Amino acid sequence: MAKALRLSLDGNEFEVMITRIDRDDLYGRVEVEAFDEKGKPATLKILAADGKTLIEKGGSALEVVNEKGDSIDRAEIIPVDLDGEPLPKVESSFGQTNELSTAEVDNYLGLVVKSVYVLDPAEESNIDYLTDHLESGQMYKFPFSYRGGIEHDDAYIVGNGKDAFMIIGKDGEVDYLRLNQAAVLEPQEEQEISADEISFDLL
Amino acid sequence: MPINISNAQNRDAVVAVETLYGKREVRYVDAKGEPTANVRVLKADSEHELPVLFKKHKDLNKVAKALVKDDPEIDLDLTGMFLTDTSKVYVSPRGIVHLVEEFELVYEPDGELKTRRPRVKTMQNMNAEVPVRWTGKFIKKEEAVRRFVFTNTKQVVHVNGLTFDFLYQMAEDLAKRDSMLLLRGGDKGDEPIVMNRGGKPYNAFLEGRVRGDSYCLLLHMSNMELKRPKVIEE
Repeated sequence: MAKALRLSLDGNEFEVMITRIDRDDLYGRVEVEAFDEKGKPATLKILAADGKTLIEKGGSALEVVNEKGDSIDRAEIIPVDLDGEPLPKVESSFGQTNELSTAEVDNYLGLVVKSVYVLDPAEESNIDYLTDHLESGQMYKFPFSYRGGIEHDDAYIVGNGKDAFMIIGKDGEVDYLRLNQAAVLEPQEEQEISADEISFDLL
Repeated sequence: MPINISNAQNRDAVVAVETLYGKREVRYVDAKGEPTANVRVLKADSEHELPVLFKKHKDLNKVAKALVKDDPEIDLDLTGMFLTDTSKVYVSPRGIVHLVEEFELVYEPDGELKTRRPRVKTMQNMNAEVPVRWTGKFIKKEEAVRRFVFTNTKQVVHVNGLTFDFLYQMAEDLAKRDSMLLLRGGDKGDEPIVMNRGGKPYNAFLEGRVRGDSYCLLLHMSNMELKRPKVIEE
């Protein structure tokens, strides 16, 4: 059974159930099927750089390597901060009370979004205090970790009408640019992308 | 990545867009404190996957015995190879195919098949001959964040002194309005933005901020509204 997430706003505590939503839930999905010239079904595979090695889905894996390119056991790698200091583990947000703080629209607009959840009150919980504030235009944030681990994500609570949503991601590195910070344009070739990435009609 | 974009006066310029990355505060080191990296490696190529082994041995028990005895699933030359510069190809029983006929199967949110149609690959319109259009349609930032999910955000960056002034002015106009501008592409200036040929179409919004003599122009892409999905009846 899904766990409830305990939130606290201005000293009022309440529990919410979170349900992940994505584009497919709202608009449906599109699958692509392909056939060769003889009408035989064709499937997508990965072609290695040698031009002949074909790889099925699941035929590759991620490995951790050192500077020499030698493989390292994942248990041996150490997470550190930017100064090289070991990082303490963070706890799952489900095992604690998560204090909400007011968020600004501009901060939210710099979020690199990973996932979206809709919030519902947990059994015997009332989230009217939260939804009333969201309806009045407030927005909140708190550090979130689903399972615990090395670092938190940034969670924003945003309302639309009577509904409350939690948008998870990482605050982005938004730069204010000066005259001397021009980008270099590289020639761009058109790129074929995977059929897997085609998922809808937009409008 | 370049973008050909016009301003409120219908003047256009090619400038750059850069991906907005999340703040990274963690890195991983080995026991000696040396940096590590993630690489993608080959586990098994198509010729060493189960269907091929099964075809050869015609019996799963025989496949299992072969796995124990000879490691037929491993290619000693290839397994563990770093995978870089890979590409996706269509493969039929006749091998790699370059000419395929593609169809889209469109499903409703409840899983019901709505339609099957030939797939049409949309051309990219972000850096096309016709610039991405300043539509003059604005939406307050406060409203936009409650209506849409911005699944992809990029920063628009100048490439020389002239385009610095061009983009700074855009950012300043948008900041004064406290609004986002809806962008459209295509010959008629009425199409959603497509970054790559055959890629996802997005509703794109331009947001501007200024601080002294510096600016920040963000291109927010959305393909999803912020709303509760309809309940699907069993």
